[in-house]
Amino acid sequence: MAGTIEVKKAACYFCHMNCGMLVHVEDGVVKKVTGDPEHPFNQGAQCPRGAAAMDHLNHINRVNYPLKRVGERGEGKFKRVSWEEALEDIATRLKKYKEEYGAESIATAGGTNRTDDWARRRFFNLLGSPNVVHTSPVCWIPNFLIETAIYGWSAFDPEIMGSRCVVVWGHNPGASYLPEMRGLLEARENNGTKIIVIDPRYSETAARADIWLPIRPGSDCALALAWLNVIINEELYDADFVENWTVGFEELRERVQEYTPEWAAEKTWVPAEKIAMAARTYATSRPACIQWGVATDQLGRATSAVAQARAVLRAICGNLDVPGGDVMPGPHPTFITDVEMELNELLPEEQRAKQLGADRFKLSTWPGYKLLNEQLERVWGKGLPAEWMCEASPPVLWRAILTGKPYPVKALIVLADNPLTSYANSRLVYEALSKLDLLVVMDYWLTPTALMADYVLPAASWLERPVLTTTYGVSDWLIASERAVQPLYERKTDYDFWRALGIKMGQEEYWPWLTNEEVFQYRLEALGYGLETYEDFVQGVRFDFAPREYYKYVEKGFATPSGKVELKSSILETLGYDPLPHYVEPPFSPEATPELARDYPLILIAGGGFMPFYHSEHRQITRLRLLHPQPRVAINPELAQKLGIKEGDWVWIETPKGKVKQRAKITTAIPPGVVQAERGWWYPEKGAGELFGVWESNINACLDDDPDTCDPACGSWCTRSVLCRIAKVEG
Amino acid sequence: MHWGMVIDLRRCVGCHACTVACQIENNLPLGETWNKVLTVGPEGDFPLLVSHFFPRPCMHCEDAPCVDGCPTGASQKRPDGIIIVDGERCIGCKFCMLVCPYGVRQFEADKGIVQKCHLCYERLEQGEMPRCVETCQLKARHVGDLDDPGSEVAALLKQANARPLYPHLGTKPSVYYIFP
Repeated sequence: MAGTIEVKKAACYFCHMNCGMLVHVEDGVVKKVTGDPEHPFNQGAQCPRGAAAMDHLNHINRVNYPLKRVGERGEGKFKRVSWEEALEDIATRLKKYKEEYGAESIATAGGTNRTDDWARRRFFNLLGSPNVVHTSPVCWIPNFLIETAIYGWSAFDPEIMGSRCVVVWGHNPGASYLPEMRGLLEARENNGTKIIVIDPRYSETAARADIWLPIRPGSDCALALAWLNVIINEELYDADFVENWTVGFEELRERVQEYTPEWAAEKTWVPAEKIAMAARTYATSRPACIQWGVATDQLGRATSAVAQARAVLRAICGNLDVPGGDVMPGPHPTFITDVEMELNELLPEEQRAKQLGADRFKLSTWPGYKLLNEQLERVWGKGLPAEWMCEASPPVLWRAILTGKPYPVKALIVLADNPLTSYANSRLVYEALSKLDLLVVMDYWLTPTALMADYVLPAASWLERPVLTTTYGVSDWLIASERAVQPLYERKTDYDFWRALGIKMGQEEYWPWLTNEEVFQYRLEALGYGLETYEDFVQGVRFDFAPREYYKYVEKGFATPSGKVELKSSILETLGYDPLPHYVEPPFSPEATPELARDYPLILIAGGGFMPFYHSEHRQITRLRLLHPQPRVAINPELAQKLGIKEGDWVWIETPKGKVKQRAKITTAIPPGVVQAERGWWYPEKGAGELFGVWESNINACLDDDPDTCDPACGSWCTRSVLCRIAKVEG
Repeated sequence: MHWGMVIDLRRCVGCHACTVACQIENNLPLGETWNKVLTVGPEGDFPLLVSHFFPRPCMHCEDAPCVDGCPTGASQKRPDGIIIVDGERCIGCKFCMLVCPYGVRQFEADKGIVQKCHLCYERLEQGEMPRCVETCQLKARHVGDLDDPGSEVAALLKQANARPLYPHLGTKPSVYYIFP
């Protein structure tokens, strides 16, 4: 119908936030994208990526048709094929690998929440392979799982607006989650909320802090333990809660005696008195909350120890599930959550046992998942999704592809992910990808990883698909958003892909829903709104926030074996880990590896979000790229002077794993012994022959992912405390 | 009626959403920005530091040197205080760029004229906020009638540390900042 103008309520997928967007569509063409004022997160606003959404939709370099490799692997030569031809060939080959090597020889790597992950897991469970990975070991999951072991869900919903003190730990919402940053500043303006920021760098968020603790990179565990020491010895904890709702307090008290503020001062570079003062502020400003931040998920073998100490801090200070504290939402009671869509029960026990890494990283794989879900199902009625919470280990997967041990891995399906820039040890990842028999990549763009593929499949972006925001199915609220337009060209959603491939593989009976909208409608029906279609739900309801309940443990108990907060965790003990908080030094540091430190004397922080990009995305959006054309490594002026480096110089960053170059950003935001390099860099403007320049500035090429350096419980590799040296690029 | 803007520097985190949204709203060529965001600092020695970000639209001065200095009358002050450039009358002499103490004017090479932020006056006339105000995630920007003592901007101006940029120049900007 000519002249039709509609305003669609969509949700942005350019980061986790899923901000609400109003998309003005004229005769089926997107004309304008603005923020949705009714949306609770962004309240009508946009970040630069959201504002530039149309550049993404209509970009000349988007992949619009299925492509099949015709040259050598990685050469970048493809020909256009039909979806039918691509799916038929992929399915035929997958059947062959399953027949010859077992279903476990087929694996998949996913990205950050641009997809319906439950559909991927459904496909893989039906296929019979446990080898599903994400970057989950370095993003949220270690914290989530450790918290769940200790108190039966993650307390990930900090109620900042009612809080008297917010601890922002290893997190910089000022450059990543802008609506969260607004919430923090408004809490302080309205309620006088104290903001404590823990970050080695003077970040956008640290610059707004009441108390900033500039710790040595990776020493978070020492700080958390010293806080426990101060809070317990000065009796600042919530004695009633500790007495009635925890087990193991006396052992905890005994354990933390050695972790004095003076001990921690040496480890963290923060004066003991300041550590103690911050601990007192946190403990005596109740209710308080500790926000999750990704940095502490990336400390290698020290990762879960930080999460453990911090979980215990929350608990003994009486902040769990209280108004203004760390609220544990639990699963949505009636909505059909992700785990209920995954068909995990169909994956046979013997296939679960083959999950790569399950023999050593036991909390983040089937052994831990089973123990946790038994408790969660008992108390909450449902457990955690296996996506993210129960996955194979990526470093072990790459090595299995390379060595054929413990068994051959022949095929990898990658969606919304660019492993060459997103996983540590990029050269090893490259070798692994090179060795695959079949690599399928579904993406918006030809990425460096897509260049290596046998098939590249065109992905629909958020303007072309409905979005159901459920925080991976671990929250008690959901937000439904609609597609603005049908996918352009031959782009498809990941659901369409898994369903179509599933049907080719003989899974037809398990994929009755034709479209995303149909399956979303199925999942929403039990909410009882009585609406006939998903679109009706978006237009009429859209937001479903369960009435907030606090102190849920009073009625339910905590979802742990004892029904209490286990300061000494029986689940961790059963899995063979230290049940009490303890100190672990990250794998690469002057203390852990003094010999390495002689040649590589600087501490490298490899990561940290920065505007206007998200992970390795958006480098091809010219408007955004002009704001930040090249990668930058932050260097203190004192160090720069010593090395003869000037602002804007290209600088080599070198570790035993490799060297890459970034431009010097000389700043006092970082101390002289530390440098911070940006992550995710590749150059879409460079040719396919150079793999889009993926070896030039991609800091993951400098990082190690040796499983022996990874977190023993969750397999996290280390990015935030690495040893390096730098030098000006000559010539 | 006197349109003005208050930018709360305690809120701005330098995300550049306003820069990008302004480019799209005004259909600017790639690389042209009417709405730069500058970084100030960090200053001091680690860890005793201060820093902030500084969005810089047109200041819409009451005594605007660009209007006074324009030889063709292209730069004009509207009755509501907004400074605009009439592209038909601009001859691209760039004198206004020389006399603007805030450096907010941009020469559009393809058209041979000078342009700049016009406070989205067409949106204001339709009851909408300027695009940079609408898009700000931190709600650092506020727009309103400086003549109306009951307006939000008037209330914000009563705060300590609210002042325009370079008040000593006597240009009387209509854009105010709340400094950290």
